[in-house]
Amino acid sequence: MAGWLAGWLAWYLVSNTAHNLEVRGMNTGFGFIDSSAGFDTDFKLIDYTPGIGTYGQIFLIGILNTLLVSFMAIIFSTVLGFFVGVMRLSHNWLVAKVALAYVEIFRNVPLLIQIVFWYIGVFSLLPVVKKSLDLLFGTGNLILNNRGFYLSTPIPGDLFWMTSVTFVGAVIGAVLYRRRARKIQDSTGQQTKTLLPSLAAIIGLPLVVYYLTGQPLAWDVPMLKGFNFVGDTSVPPSFLALLVALSIYHAAHIAESVRAGILSVNRGQQDAGMGIGLKPGKVMRLVIIPQAMPAIVPPLISNWMNTVKNSSLAIAIGYPDVVSLFMQTALNQAGYAVEMVGMTMAFYMLVSLTISFFLNIYNKRVQLVER
Amino acid sequence: MAIVNTQRSPDRPAPISETSVVGWLQRNLFSSVFNTLLTIFMLFIIYLAVKGILVWGLFDATFIAENRRECYDKSLTGACWAGVIDWLDNIFYGRYPRDQIWRINAGGLLLVLWMLPMWLPRVRGKVLVGATVVVFYPFLAGYMFSGGEMGMLTQIMASGAIVSFALIMANMLVGLCKDMGLNSFVLEVFGKSKAADKTQRNLLLALVAALFVPAYLWLSTWALEVISWTKWGGLFLTLVISGIGIASSLPGGILLALGRRSELPVVRVLSTGFIEVFRSVPLITVLFMATTMFPLFMPEGFVLNKLTQVIIAVILFNACYMAEIVRAGLQAIPKGQFEGAHTIGLGYWGTMGLIIMPQALKHMIPNIVGNLIGLLKDTTLVSIIGLFDLLGMLRSISKDVPWLGLHKEPLIFGAVLFFIICFSMSKYSRHLEVKLSAGEKH
Repeated sequence: MAGWLAGWLAWYLVSNTAHNLEVRGMNTGFGFIDSSAGFDTDFKLIDYTPGIGTYGQIFLIGILNTLLVSFMAIIFSTVLGFFVGVMRLSHNWLVAKVALAYVEIFRNVPLLIQIVFWYIGVFSLLPVVKKSLDLLFGTGNLILNNRGFYLSTPIPGDLFWMTSVTFVGAVIGAVLYRRRARKIQDSTGQQTKTLLPSLAAIIGLPLVVYYLTGQPLAWDVPMLKGFNFVGDTSVPPSFLALLVALSIYHAAHIAESVRAGILSVNRGQQDAGMGIGLKPGKVMRLVIIPQAMPAIVPPLISNWMNTVKNSSLAIAIGYPDVVSLFMQTALNQAGYAVEMVGMTMAFYMLVSLTISFFLNIYNKRVQLVER
Repeated sequence: MAIVNTQRSPDRPAPISETSVVGWLQRNLFSSVFNTLLTIFMLFIIYLAVKGILVWGLFDATFIAENRRECYDKSLTGACWAGVIDWLDNIFYGRYPRDQIWRINAGGLLLVLWMLPMWLPRVRGKVLVGATVVVFYPFLAGYMFSGGEMGMLTQIMASGAIVSFALIMANMLVGLCKDMGLNSFVLEVFGKSKAADKTQRNLLLALVAALFVPAYLWLSTWALEVISWTKWGGLFLTLVISGIGIASSLPGGILLALGRRSELPVVRVLSTGFIEVFRSVPLITVLFMATTMFPLFMPEGFVLNKLTQVIIAVILFNACYMAEIVRAGLQAIPKGQFEGAHTIGLGYWGTMGLIIMPQALKHMIPNIVGNLIGLLKDTTLVSIIGLFDLLGMLRSISKDVPWLGLHKEPLIFGAVLFFIICFSMSKYSRHLEVKLSAGEKH
């Protein structure tokens, strides 16, 4: 019975849609992907020329923009969220209350209002181009104004590969060194200092090589040409507003799951950690956090998923993400409603399927360890 | 001879470091050098923030002005709340005709009164109160808000609403004064409290019918002016959308969750697919889909207005989230509960409705309320597709000629408004959680 009903419903919807498309003379099929799109966007990560570039490229630009802003927001919000979550459990009453206020304020105000506020209330009020803020004390490497945020682009010289190779080598070396230290500790109980030597190697060695090879790195500094800066890496204010709003909003949510995760660890673990003479910081890092992780990770990852989804609010402030670029602008121009909506939704589904795939792997691993 | 002190020596008072304010301060704020530094640093930050907010928002702010220029003339460093105050009616009611605003207020008051018995411990029949609100109230309120011709169904349901509202109010009064249900009170008045069940039921039904007829006749004298949905806006529209969403996403979610656990493969696969698709895409794409693709799905000539499309999208979207919450709640129910219900002879719906759901929903109250808060916040997205909800109204202040460019103050006002609503909802849910789990032993 249910099967028949479902089949009838599907047939009904499909036939209605086909009929409506025909009546309205709307285009169908995926041919539009290769046809050229006539509009430009102010932020793109791949080469694209309006009039020549295709709708397929527009789709790709939108996807990359979405992924870029959500990836950075995920990193910032996770770091900030852990920080605030630990602050929330601080023994210092004032610190805990400030963290609580942060969480409650930013969780209970709609994200869209926050995004619009950061955009209109902060990043549009930055000084005009002529009076740009120079964040690196007059070197002109980091410039902030109401047109966006400008970074100088590094241009690697001939021998720069040596610095890169040294860096990679130092990282591998540090990892191996840590592993050896861990082995020594497991067999003899002796601890070796790893953090400082590793950091010194990772930062110091490449620097030495860099200067020995004669600083083979030129900087393409933002130049004031006409009405704006050119010749550099830049992001528009809408990107910054979206990034800041997403990071702050999701950090508040992550802080709560971090706090819940830490509280889920038995109090005795902390006492025992203190009992064997570890300092509070080490108790947190070596005893509490590792045990809290299985409780923290699932909500954390669903938060990451929400970050990707919420980045679609970019449309309110004109950041060209996949929804505003493809599902709005391109759809209004070309009018392949069913296909374009379908493609956009398929992209989001793919992202969340990928993320939940990794989450499932993690959950399985954690469960195996537990039993 | 043993010397035993038979009298209990009095408790010594707690050391002063434990009880005094100074002791508290010492323990919580200045326990170490690092902590002291942290405290001072935090105090400094709080001082800066509070001072900035107070100076900008209160001391230097302008509350009375004709336009933005006048605001600036009075104070350059403070907020210009005059614009927000000037637009307050719009922020709350949208472009609803000013002489008809009483309809919105009356509708809101009706809802508050209707729900009031839920919070009064002495009043009986709370489930009935909740059920009648969901079933009848929307029809009466819908008619009050939009007006125009009343269809047969609307008139019947609205009369039902009036009757049940009257009964619930009477029940509340009886409960408050006499601490008994309305039905037993009525039976007592008629002297039938000892009569057979059937006689009692017939008497009560006759009374309800006797109330229904005058209500129905009275309603046909109503002729409210038509107010198109395009005039709805502001906080009112936000509450209408989220209210309908809240009221229907829970039943929808329960159905979907049951469908996902169903033993019929078709139902299971369809529900699962539906839930997963809607949960993995952002709400804004669902809203766009509703406005661009719903018209394509419908038979020719069948037109839904934008508000209906949006509401359907919001309901579908949130029902899927609710379904997952309900499913999690169902999974937490031990198998013995199902078996026990079968043993006493309950069927599927009896098991679910009487045994499983009440427990599952109770477990999930924090998540459900969290989701409802999310729904309320997400309602702001409808401003993106051109409805003038609260955020839409706030943003149009800056396009009004006298207040051209006034962006920040309206947004902050909206943020505070949302904060108050959402924060009190979450605090209430925590209270509810504590209250409901009070009887449980862990």
